Amino acid sequence: MNRLVKWFTDRWPFYQLRDLLLKEDIPGGSSFAYTIGSSILMIFALQVASGILQLFYYVPTTDHAYNSVSYLRTQVPFGWLVHNMHYWGASAMVFLVALHMVRVYTWGAYKKTPLTWFIGIALLLTTMALSFTGAPLIWDQKGYYAGEVGTSIAGEVPIIGNLLEIIMRGGQTMTQLTLSRFFAFHVGVFVPILALLIGMHIASFRTSGVAGPWDREKQKKTGPFWPDQAFKDLTVATVVLLALIALSVYFPVPYAGMADTINTTYVPKPEWNFLFIYQALKYFKGPLEPVGAAGVPAVFVLLLIIVPLIDRNPKRNPFHRPFAMACLVLYAGLIVTLSIIGYLSPGLAQPATGKKKEAKKTEEKKAAPRMSPEAKRGEKVFQKSGCRGCHKVHGKGGSVGPELTAEALKGKSRKWLMDQITSSSSHFPSMGPNTGMTEFTSMGKKDLHDLVSYLMSIAEGEAPAPEASPAPSEAGRKSPGIKKGEQIFQSKGCTGCHKVFGKGGSVGPELSGGTLKGKSRQWIEDQIRNPKSHFPNSVMPSFSGMSKEDIDDLVSYLMSMVGRSSPDPAAAASSEQDSKDPAGSDQDASHIKKGKELFQSQGCSGCHKINGKGGTVDPELSGDTLKDRNRKWIEDQIRNPKSHFPNSIMPSFSGLSKEDVNSLASYLKSLSGQSPSGSAAPSPAGSPQARKKQQAPAKQAETEKPEKSAQPPKAGEQPPSSAGGPSGPPPEQKALKEQVGKSAFIIGSAENGASLYKEECVSCHGPDGKDNVPNPGSKDGKVPPLNPIDRELYSPDPKVFVEHIDKIIQHGSTPEGPHPALHMPAWGDSRSLTQQEIANLEAYILQLNGVDRGKIVQPGLEPQTFFFIVLGLFVVAALLAGGAWARRRKE
Amino acid sequence: MDEVSNKDQDEKTVSRRNFFKVVIGVFAFLNGVVLGVPYIRAIITKAPLKKLHWSKVGDVTSLAAMQPKDMAFQMRSSDAFLHQEVTRSVWVIRHSESDYTVFSPICPHLGCHYKWDAQTNHFECPCHGSVFTINGKVIGGPAPRPLDTLPHKIENGVLYVEWERFKVGISKKVRV
Repeated sequence: MNRLVKWFTDRWPFYQLRDLLLKEDIPGGSSFAYTIGSSILMIFALQVASGILQLFYYVPTTDHAYNSVSYLRTQVPFGWLVHNMHYWGASAMVFLVALHMVRVYTWGAYKKTPLTWFIGIALLLTTMALSFTGAPLIWDQKGYYAGEVGTSIAGEVPIIGNLLEIIMRGGQTMTQLTLSRFFAFHVGVFVPILALLIGMHIASFRTSGVAGPWDREKQKKTGPFWPDQAFKDLTVATVVLLALIALSVYFPVPYAGMADTINTTYVPKPEWNFLFIYQALKYFKGPLEPVGAAGVPAVFVLLLIIVPLIDRNPKRNPFHRPFAMACLVLYAGLIVTLSIIGYLSPGLAQPATGKKKEAKKTEEKKAAPRMSPEAKRGEKVFQKSGCRGCHKVHGKGGSVGPELTAEALKGKSRKWLMDQITSSSSHFPSMGPNTGMTEFTSMGKKDLHDLVSYLMSIAEGEAPAPEASPAPSEAGRKSPGIKKGEQIFQSKGCTGCHKVFGKGGSVGPELSGGTLKGKSRQWIEDQIRNPKSHFPNSVMPSFSGMSKEDIDDLVSYLMSMVGRSSPDPAAAASSEQDSKDPAGSDQDASHIKKGKELFQSQGCSGCHKINGKGGTVDPELSGDTLKDRNRKWIEDQIRNPKSHFPNSIMPSFSGLSKEDVNSLASYLKSLSGQSPSGSAAPSPAGSPQARKKQQAPAKQAETEKPEKSAQPPKAGEQPPSSAGGPSGPPPEQKALKEQVGKSAFIIGSAENGASLYKEECVSCHGPDGKDNVPNPGSKDGKVPPLNPIDRELYSPDPKVFVEHIDKIIQHGSTPEGPHPALHMPAWGDSRSLTQQEIANLEAYILQLNGVDRGKIVQPGLEPQTFFFIVLGLFVVAALLAGGAWARRRKE
Repeated sequence: MDEVSNKDQDEKTVSRRNFFKVVIGVFAFLNGVVLGVPYIRAIITKAPLKKLHWSKVGDVTSLAAMQPKDMAFQMRSSDAFLHQEVTRSVWVIRHSESDYTVFSPICPHLGCHYKWDAQTNHFECPCHGSVFTINGKVIGGPAPRPLDTLPHKIENGVLYVEWERFKVGISKKVRV
């Protein structure tokens, strides 16, 4: 054996290297103060080891990275340990490097060995670079955004920013190439650089010696590094190692969910060691931002670099360097303070405070396009009179007449416009007595005035007012709002709990009559959004997911019932009918009503007369004109007039949705047979005559049903009431419904799932999945609870559990029963939620039921067992060593 | 005599060695440049602008007016060597039957995804607190330009958009 050793050491400088590394006299002897550096070295070695182990499983592609890490963490024996050690090791390394620098600064060591200090700064930066490039590798939400925002900040650096960004991202955006790059930088660039720098750092302080204590007297006495200092190093390193294992066991990295750029419930925040930059950057706004992007990190680094250059004071004792120490406190204090502010700063998820809100409102008012009230009214006249049927405004409308652009109207006087509207031929005699434009002689003076004002506003090139935004007069608005509110009241299942005019559930109080007397709009709105705000023990689910408009309408409806004990024939008659026959005539009436609105808004009346009112370009539509035409014919005519009349100048309204065309056809059908000389524009929807005439409900239902089911429910929208019904899906669909989505194989973030749940699910499933929200018309009479969930769906095995619920979330389900008011939308099929979001929701639902989605399937050893074994081994070893020591001393 | 010739030879040797050193240096430098330049060029890549194509977003006729809605849709994405269906989203605001605004969901500040706050009627970005009106105008926070609109068209009530991305952090809207 000895010969073998000799053979080797004769040929290889083993002893020389050993001496270089270990043989050193430390001025003042060994100290625990000098142990931080060696702990960092140990962590570096651990990082390399756990890093290489991760490479055995990790796949650096955007579609597999997250799942490959999840696999490592759950399916590989001790994979959990490998990953968590790498995570906590990284954090510990940054922390210890910072601590090490504080120690060196306090001892004034940089005065004796400035080169070692400079290499140390390079080490700090490389460590930060490793931390930065490591996070996105998992391609989870946290890492993705850390990479996205981090590279964007780099991109803001003046002059070289763009180049930096391109080098870091492998292009202009975050793509697969970015992930590949972060991977290459992390593993192939920064690790070797760090290793090299560590070598230089050690060589440097072995060459120029260590500084030792600041007290000259103490420096005279020396102690050897080996084994005195090495013993202390080992002791501290062991404690650090145990701490890392403890962190890995008791604080495993939470699953942040797979990167998903369209999940807006996630609030990105950088890792703790970058929080101070994140926060500092917030103070640089607008044109100053590039200054911050380049300046903030530069200043922090520059301050470190200039320390040995400007501090020429030979004194090293910190007590004799009050200014230098004050600088340290300031510097460290600044970083700590910024980090804490950054950590506490909300993701701006909370609503703005009152004052801010007001300020914002006034700003918005300023931002809104300005239009005189006259012009605004004129715009409505424009719509009502059907001008749009022939004229384009802002690119939208028919093309029978010329587009009404600022240019086209330039230079036209009010008078000219007025004449044009009432008597077009006077301006264009060359076109003969009939220019094709309807002469709107019957238009009221005020309307005409306003219309001209509107046209003038176009000529002046004012911004187009969003059409729906000008608030219609109170009277005009109220009833549709109330009506819509009533529909919402039914579709949201409010009747399940609340009685209205004696009908409905009895869980909550009756809402007609005096219950809501004296309550403000705001109070009712708050009650809908957050019932617990008024009644902390309320079981009423929060409907915070509803749109503001819907809530507004609902409040209008509720307010309309205050003090009334019997249904008002106008507002509530339909509700009775609805409950008797959901597909009955009233729905047709609303169809017809919608059709009428469309008829006006699409500008049909510009050309067509109805009941004697309207344009004369095309035939009158009431009376006998459409008597013998079926729905299909009317729909075709609306979509493609040339199909029936090749020379027709009627514009094609193919841009209308199927539903709209349907409504319009319903309206027109309702007119046929009506006398042309009818009384002044009776409302077909309201008139019993029209209702009787509307005898095509069966047909209509036919055309409507498939269409409705084809329309995916949108996120945040509630399932349509009474639609669909319990009709079974076709067989091939059924087979599809048995399939789980990608989400079933993604370990989601329960935390993000909880936020998503609050946005999308709480209105039906109740807070924490606990409430039994009523579902009138279903067999169970309530929405099934999620907490605890149906035992048939439950499984202690997260994979099985997830597969059970995934099918329902992906494809939706309709509860058994005659007319369930609520049904589960197909979140996945309709893409209302992404697969990543569904995975997060599933993790949350599992958590509610006490199952950990990220449960370790193959732990190797249970983490806690492992920890106790490790701890036990170390304690026994320490005791044995201590015992042996005590015995030797006795001898 | 011997010494002199030795000296001569030494001088010769030295100048010859100096020549060697220079040659070594030049060739080492050349070797470095010959491969170094193309190797460095290999990591400064800029993907060419992608050809835009229309992606179907979905039916928009049923949207409530002036209520921004984030609509998710699937599109084929070519990401370097990965060609796959990806889900993207856009904010759609309906002004009227045929008048819509489509915003890219990416905050023009640093690329986070902002959201709509129905209570304040603003778009707000959670990352650095930029606030936008419904028209996309910046009224708070560090965002350097208004929200980015995307080209879109309506066909039979169905919205199509041309998905594109813009450089973040600058006041001009530059496609990337």
